[in-house]
Parts: sequence; C-alpha cells; structure tokens
Amino acid sequence: MSLNKIEAAQGWRIRSTQDFAGGLFMIALAGLALFLARDLPLGSLRQIGPGMLPKSIAVICAALGALLSLNAMRYKGEKLSGWSWRGVLFVLGAAIVFGLTIRGFEIGPLKVPQLGMLVSGPLVVFIAGLAADDVRIKELAIFAVAMTTACALLFKYALSLPIPLAPWLLGI
Amino acid sequence: MSEMFAHLGLGFGVALTLQNVALCFVGCLVGTLVGVLPGVGPIATIAMLLPITFGLDPVGALIMLAGIYYGAQYGGSTTAILVNIPGEATAVVTTLDGHQMAKQGRAGVALGTAALGSFVAGCFATLVIAALGAPLTKLALLFGPAEYFSLMVMGLCFAVVLARGSILKAFCMIMLGLLLSTVGTDLETGQERMTFGFPPLSDGIDFAVLAMGVFGFAEVLRNLENPEARDVVRAKIGRLLPGWEDIKQSIAPCLRGTLIGGTLGILPGNGAVLGPFASYTLEKKIAKDPSRFGKGAIEGVAGPESANNAGAQTAFIPLLTLGIPPNAVMALMVGAMTIHGIIPGPQVMTKNPELFWGMIASMWIGNLMLLVINLPLVGLWVKLLQVPYRLMFPAILIFCSIGIYSVNNQPVDVAFTALFGLFGYLLIKLGFEPAPMLLGFVLGKLMEEKLRQALIISRGSFMTFIERPISAGLLLVAVAILVIALLPAMSKKRDEVFTE
Repeated sequence: MSLNKIEAAQGWRIRSTQDFAGGLFMIALAGLALFLARDLPLGSLRQIGPGMLPKSIAVICAALGALLSLNAMRYKGEKLSGWSWRGVLFVLGAAIVFGLTIRGFEIGPLKVPQLGMLVSGPLVVFIAGLAADDVRIKELAIFAVAMTTACALLFKYALSLPIPLAPWLLGI
Repeated sequence: MSEMFAHLGLGFGVALTLQNVALCFVGCLVGTLVGVLPGVGPIATIAMLLPITFGLDPVGALIMLAGIYYGAQYGGSTTAILVNIPGEATAVVTTLDGHQMAKQGRAGVALGTAALGSFVAGCFATLVIAALGAPLTKLALLFGPAEYFSLMVMGLCFAVVLARGSILKAFCMIMLGLLLSTVGTDLETGQERMTFGFPPLSDGIDFAVLAMGVFGFAEVLRNLENPEARDVVRAKIGRLLPGWEDIKQSIAPCLRGTLIGGTLGILPGNGAVLGPFASYTLEKKIAKDPSRFGKGAIEGVAGPESANNAGAQTAFIPLLTLGIPPNAVMALMVGAMTIHGIIPGPQVMTKNPELFWGMIASMWIGNLMLLVINLPLVGLWVKLLQVPYRLMFPAILIFCSIGIYSVNNQPVDVAFTALFGLFGYLLIKLGFEPAPMLLGFVLGKLMEEKLRQALIISRGSFMTFIERPISAGLLLVAVAILVIALLPAMSKKRDEVFTE
C-alpha cells in the first residue's frame, strides 16, 4: 500500500494495462447494452418497464469500468499478456465446424448436407487437436476415430439422445 | 425429530431402489473420472456431464447430478494430492500437505484420509440438511418479494467479498452477469430486449451455453496457453487405509473441519469456499508443533478435506429451501434442475417430497459410494493423470459439443458456445474471474422479478426494503460485509488468506 501511495504521488499514467483494458471493456459492453436497449421504455418505479433494469445495470457496469480504469492509473497491477490466436482459431473453430456440419446448413450459395456425428465428431477432435504445440497427427487421427466411436455408443445407444449419426449413409 | 427421521425414511425408500443406486454409482464414478483430470474443475465437470442426465426422470437425474457433484469434488482432491494442481479454490489447501505426503510415499494414506474425512463430513452434513430443511422451508414461505430481493443482494455481496482476486473486478463480473440475464423477452410486457432481433436469443441466453463456453472452452484456451508443469507423484502410492496412529491424529481435525465447513456452507454467497482455509488455519494454530504443516501433516489433509465436503453439501441448503444458489456450482445445479422442469425453492419440498428427500438420502449414499469407488480405483486415477493434455482437450471439446447440441437439439447453440468461449477467454486475459458472473446471471432473472413485484406491492417506494424488518436486516448484513471487506486492514488479511 505504502509503495503504491508513493507511486500515486508521481502522477497519472497507466500502471496496469490489464486493469485499464478491463475497465474499457466494461465501459464498451455497457455502451453496447445501452445502445441496444435505447428504445425500451423505462417505466416508473410503480410499474417498472422493460428498459429500467438493463439500462440501470449498464450504467453501473460503466461506472465500475471507469473506476477500474482510474485505479489502473494509480496502482500497479498485472500487465496484459499475449493473446494466443492458434488456440482461439482451432479450438473455437472446431466447435463451429461441429455446429455447422451436424445437421447441415445453408448460407446463400453455400450448402452443406446433414453430415451427422460420424463426420462431425472426428472433425471436431482433429481440428481442435491441432491447437496443441506438441500435436502428433497420426496419434490424433486415431484418437479422433476412437473418441467418436465411444461418444456414438454412449450418447446414441446408452443414453439414446436424438443425435444424427450419419443420415446420408446409414439413414439414422 | 421423529418427523425428520420419517422424512429420511421416505428419502431412503426412493434413493435405495436399484435404478437410483445405480445412477448414484454411475454419477459418482464419471464425476470422479472427469474431475480427476488436471485442469478440469468441478464447474467444468458438471457442465460437461449435464447431457448424460437428459434422458432420465427428474428424480433419477437429480440423484445422478448430486453423484457427479461429489465425484467432481473428490476427483479435485485426488488431483490436488497426486499432481499438486488444485482443480478449484477450495482444493488449494489440500495441495499443501497432501502433496507433501504423496512425495513421502504416503499418497495412499492421504487419499484414504481425505475419503474417510469426507465421508464423516458427508454423514454429518446430510443430517444437518435433513434437520434444517423443513424449518427453513417454512421460513422461506414467510418471505415476500422484498425479502427475497434483499437476500439475493446479500448473497451477491458475500460472493463479491469471497471471490478470488480484486473485489472491484468481482463486482464487475456480478454486474455483467446481471446484465447478461436481462437479454431476452421481458417477462411482463413480452418485449424483446437486446436480442439484436435474432430469434434464438428471444428466450434469453441459454444457461448451458454460457456455462460451457466460459468454463469449458475458455478453460481449454487458458490451459493451452500455460502448459502446466505436471508434478505427478512418482513415489509409491502405498497402503490406502490410514493406520491407527493416523486415525488418532486425524479424528479431531476431521470433526472440527466438519463443523466449520458445514456452518460456513449454509451462508448464502459461497461461504463454503472459506471452510478449508479456516480449518487449515485453526489446525495450524492449535497444533503442538505448527512447523510440521506444509511438510506432510495428516491433520492438514483431514481437516480441510472434511470442511470442504461438509461445505459442499450444506451449500445445498440455501438452494433447496430458498431456491437461491450460493455459488457458481450450485448455480449450475439450478440450471440443471430447470432443464428437468424443477424450479428449486421452498415449493419443491411440499410439492415433490420424494424428490427432495430422495436427493438428500442419495447424498449420503453418494458419500458412501465415493469411499467404495475411490479406494480400489486409485490406480486407475493415477493412470488418468498421465493422459497428456494434447489428447485431453479434444476429448473435452467433442463432449461439450455433443452436450450443447443435445440440450435443445440446436446446432446454432454450439456456435454460440464458441462465441462465449471467446468471451470467457477475453475475461481471463483481462484478469476477471468468471465464476461470480455465472452466479449473477442465474440470480439476475429472479432478482428482477422480485424487485418488480416488491415495487408494485409498495407502489413504487424503495422504502419497502428498509421498512420490512427481515429485509432491512439482510441489507444491513450486506452493507456491513462490504464495508468490513473494504477496510484496509481487512483487505490485507483477505489477500493473505487467498494467497496462503
């Protein structure tokens, strides 16, 4: 604390990029919420309208964000660390691919048939696996097939969830 | 008293059918199986295993979920002892002495003590729940909207104070959770709120999607970035059952831990998280030779583990009697119950007594199961701990993907979850702890409803929250806890507790 106080006396500058960015992030989210809720009526205290809570919570969020950013200029704290695009791309990409292929989709001219879990399963495991630094392609491929088989047995047969396996091939 | 035993009798009648015992067993087993994996905490475990309960009837599903919950908790302790990686905040304490014991070739005894301590704590906590369930439910029926609102405010204040890291940031997360909960159709006017005009959002953000995105996917991203140094014990596991000397040493800490953990667990707002810390500090204070702690003292495992399990179980009390989840894990249980068409709260006990008491009885059975499953299967857990992360996370991913898809059979949910994964990763990068957000999100809808009701009854006067004595008392506690936590002397102490 005392060290921080001495630093605080040395004027304002960003001392914790992490907290500073966190504060801005809160303000941005609050701004987005206020924008989206702009047409919702506030109502009165006696009869609260649909816009009252979203707007007031958003204002509180923005205030907290501002406080956090100001604090970041007074007290030392964590710095922002690097952002790993590889993980984001492969891990989240894998999930999106699963969502797109499991029942098929149509976006404009692009059309993917309903592929089912026998295709989507190995795809999600394989694509996600590429995110690891120590990835071994062969091992991953075998693992993808094994995991899909296990999941198909578990979810489709043991738990009988209505998930398509391979409608284009097996008709289920 | 006799009423309580009659209720427990009814509960055991439900829980001891062959099907339900089997479900409890499977729940404990898979819960431990997933919970043991390093880097997968109880929240992620439960979120991931939710879909396997979908096909069951509500009673069976809840019993299985409770089993998964205990399994996940116990799996976390196993990881803490054998690998020195705490799956969640409460397991941090177990790593201190548990891992040291493991290094000295006494891993088996540490695991055995943890299991036995947890069992004792579980038995006690089951009785506490059975005893407090009925009177607290009656109390809950006296609560009007104003009291409910104030109670939730108090719970959230506790959650802010007890969260890891900066109080201000925890506050941010709670408010963000509340903000997210307002997305979707307005309950009274039917107007769409902040949905981008996108139809899947008109029902609000799906709880499972948010939880799996922020705790499943984002955790994977976090773990990928910091390849953890796994310190799997190479020494022999050794014998499992603690010897007479060990039992004599650990019985008192175990009972004290149970008492501390059980009491703290009842508090709304994650009091359970304090249990293990409090128990460890107490044991260290009253020990004849405090220097043994941190070097493999068995009391340092028995006490906190008992406290942890007792707290984990009594945390069900606010949920089952008042319908208010005290922490993120319980928030997840609310989500799970809602998927099965049960709204947690006082009416559960009056409307479906067999469900309520069946679940409580199955808690005790679950604790017994853990003892039966864990001791013989330790070898298997050790093997699992050696699965490299490069194979573990793709498996987590396919599980989550199938799980989210199965909640509503909506492929678009999987894409949404990926989006929330990105959101969660951003939060982690910005140093926010997402658990309070989940709590805020779950409480948000209920809070808004109660606030509106209370203000309609009072004709728009906020004084209603202060004029009604119970409500005023709850708000006073909330303010007091915030003020105390913000006092400089206390905030320093708080930092010490969480870094020890």
